[in-house]
Amino acid sequence: MNNTLLELKNISYKYKNNLILNKINLKINSGEKIALLGKSGSGKTTLISVLNGTIKPTQGEVKLFNKSFEESDRKQKSKITTIWQDLRLIEDLSAEQNVNCGLLAENNFYFAFKNLLNISSFKKAHKYMQLCRLHYSIYDKKIRKLSGGQKQRVAIARSLIQGSNILLADEPFNNLDPKLITTIKNLLLENVDKNNTKKYPKTALVALHKLDLLNDFDKVIGIRDGKIFFNIKRTNLNKLHLDKIY
Amino acid sequence: MNKLKLNYTSLSFLPILVCIPLGYQLITNIHFGGFKLFQEFLISAFNPKIDNEIIITVINRLNETILIGFFSWLVSIIFGTIFGILSSNIFYIIFNIPNFFYHLIRFFLTVVRSIHEVVWGILLMQIYGINFSIGIIAISIPYIAVNSKVFAEQLETIDHKSFESINEINAPKFSSLLTLIWNPIINTFKNFGLYRLECSIRSTVILGLFGIGGIGTSIFLSFQTLNFRDLWTYLWSLAILIILSGLIFKKIKFNTTNKILSIFFIAVFFITILFSFLYFLYFIFNNNFDNFNSVSSLFKTSSDFGLFDLLKLILETIILSLLSTGIAISLPPLVIGIFNNKTSKIFIKIFAFLLRLIPTPVILLILLTFNNPSLSLAALTLGLHNAGITSKLLFTNLESQNRRNYIAMKSLGISKKTSWLLGLFSQQAKSYLAYCAYRSDIITRETAIVGVIGSVGLGWQLQESLSSFAWQEVSIVLIAYSSIAIVGELINGKIKSSLT
Repeated sequence: MNNTLLELKNISYKYKNNLILNKINLKINSGEKIALLGKSGSGKTTLISVLNGTIKPTQGEVKLFNKSFEESDRKQKSKITTIWQDLRLIEDLSAEQNVNCGLLAENNFYFAFKNLLNISSFKKAHKYMQLCRLHYSIYDKKIRKLSGGQKQRVAIARSLIQGSNILLADEPFNNLDPKLITTIKNLLLENVDKNNTKKYPKTALVALHKLDLLNDFDKVIGIRDGKIFFNIKRTNLNKLHLDKIY
Repeated sequence: MNKLKLNYTSLSFLPILVCIPLGYQLITNIHFGGFKLFQEFLISAFNPKIDNEIIITVINRLNETILIGFFSWLVSIIFGTIFGILSSNIFYIIFNIPNFFYHLIRFFLTVVRSIHEVVWGILLMQIYGINFSIGIIAISIPYIAVNSKVFAEQLETIDHKSFESINEINAPKFSSLLTLIWNPIINTFKNFGLYRLECSIRSTVILGLFGIGGIGTSIFLSFQTLNFRDLWTYLWSLAILIILSGLIFKKIKFNTTNKILSIFFIAVFFITILFSFLYFLYFIFNNNFDNFNSVSSLFKTSSDFGLFDLLKLILETIILSLLSTGIAISLPPLVIGIFNNKTSKIFIKIFAFLLRLIPTPVILLILLTFNNPSLSLAALTLGLHNAGITSKLLFTNLESQNRRNYIAMKSLGISKKTSWLLGLFSQQAKSYLAYCAYRSDIITRETAIVGVIGSVGLGWQLQESLSSFAWQEVSIVLIAYSSIAIVGELINGKIKSSLT
């Protein structure tokens, strides 16, 4: 049975005459944990933006559940969740309102309205905020009043609450101290919470700079100048591979 | 030789040069026939008439003014929000609607707001006669378009990354739109929407001068009969109304997290929309349109109006706008800079308040007591009234600014005036000029008012054409007016975007 969730076929992306992605072919299969490595400016963020449909490639095809991304419906597209490097939270909303935004896809307009008026239930949001080790005192604080690490965890909570199958994350461990990195890494990659009940995105592609975090991944992709240099099992990774991309 | 270097500070003062030709014409036009009247007018300010009869009149007239002002504000702010959303790019991006409609609705709103409420009022009065609701409709029409511009501008500042983030969640489109625009709308309402009530009241007063009712009508009648004591009673009561409305709104805190308050606002929002539609239907079916046949000839093309006459009037209107804008930009920083002490500041603030308070047609009539009608006099009137408004903004910004640079410069032994100029004003000059660019749009529209009162430009021609029911001429004047205002808005938009 074909278990490919996302597929890039011969993808290129040009921006102002610069080739940012160059003929990328990539398959993301169900259950895979993929680390995406590369220097700053190598095209990692653009690749993630193409994968989640934010950027339309100049050339090539993106397939989601074996269907063209363009033809996929809203429900299918909502199976992908993204943690952006720049977080992209709504600064004027509170932390809990931002986390609740992750539920917009599965709810109607009235839910969005109640969320903005602060009269919706925040039970589920609070649960995910607790998992991300966010203190209750910041739940109703506006995003702009939070520290970098707190914002990072709000973005992660918003992403997790979506209950998506596929996680795309761009440097999700920035701004976090070592203890929090372990907690968040477990949340994002281990698929179960401490009560062993809730499944988190089973499939993940995470852009990374910290090589010491690679142990939790099955596969590693190396990207340089918009080209994939290697796409291998993590156990096969060696110094030569890294020299090619750094 | 050193070249003159222009920066934002010098650009704020340069327009005062308009005073050279303006002053020359004013001096040559001076007459001494009305000095006594002017003196009487000034003295009456300290001795307004207070008796039972006038107090009852004031209460009744203020009631009318408040009702027209409040309802036109409510309708224009709600529909302004809706049109603001419809004319912002975020709406078209989320719903994937072709850009053609975005430009179409923007152009339509630009045309609507290019015509001043007084012109709308006069036109509507010609069709429907004088009635209470005409005031509300006349103010609401251009105000909806003005408010929608401000709301749309704010919505276009939404971070594109926030949009991408919400879009990526794949929420229903209306949910995405609401989540993104909610806070910019609330903030614009708090910062701009409440101030518009004061503007609505002012516009009601001006429309009152043209017979729509309210305190404006009383002001005009008392001026015509030279009852200056009555006039000042009305002006001071209007001042109290404006100050009180400002204070009340300052005290009210719009807490959107309060459940009951939120439900109340939402109820008001939908009831206003419903009521407006019902009233519109009632208005259509309960008015005889006897006069509409004559007005419909607005759209016929033949006219005796000469091209040369039209060009002359257009040129006069443009010069009038430029001269007034020059005064409105440069006079406040110049006066505040020269008279830079606490006592002077209090007097400047009172004078600026009076300039804002007294409607432009009344200022013009006062100035006519010692000067012949001319383009310069109209420009001075409009310039002074708007200088009252720009000075309020300048004072507010200067007072909220950090004074570190000013103190540091003074401690170096630099004079107080120079320290003020370089340590305080220079940091405000850019944003001040950006606001003045927006203000000059309004000045262009306001040339209609001073023109109508009998001085110069297209406003005067409009009044003449309306009085003689020359509808083809009215249509030509309106098109010319709109064109000037639209071109002015485009130029000012460019200036403003280069300054912000």
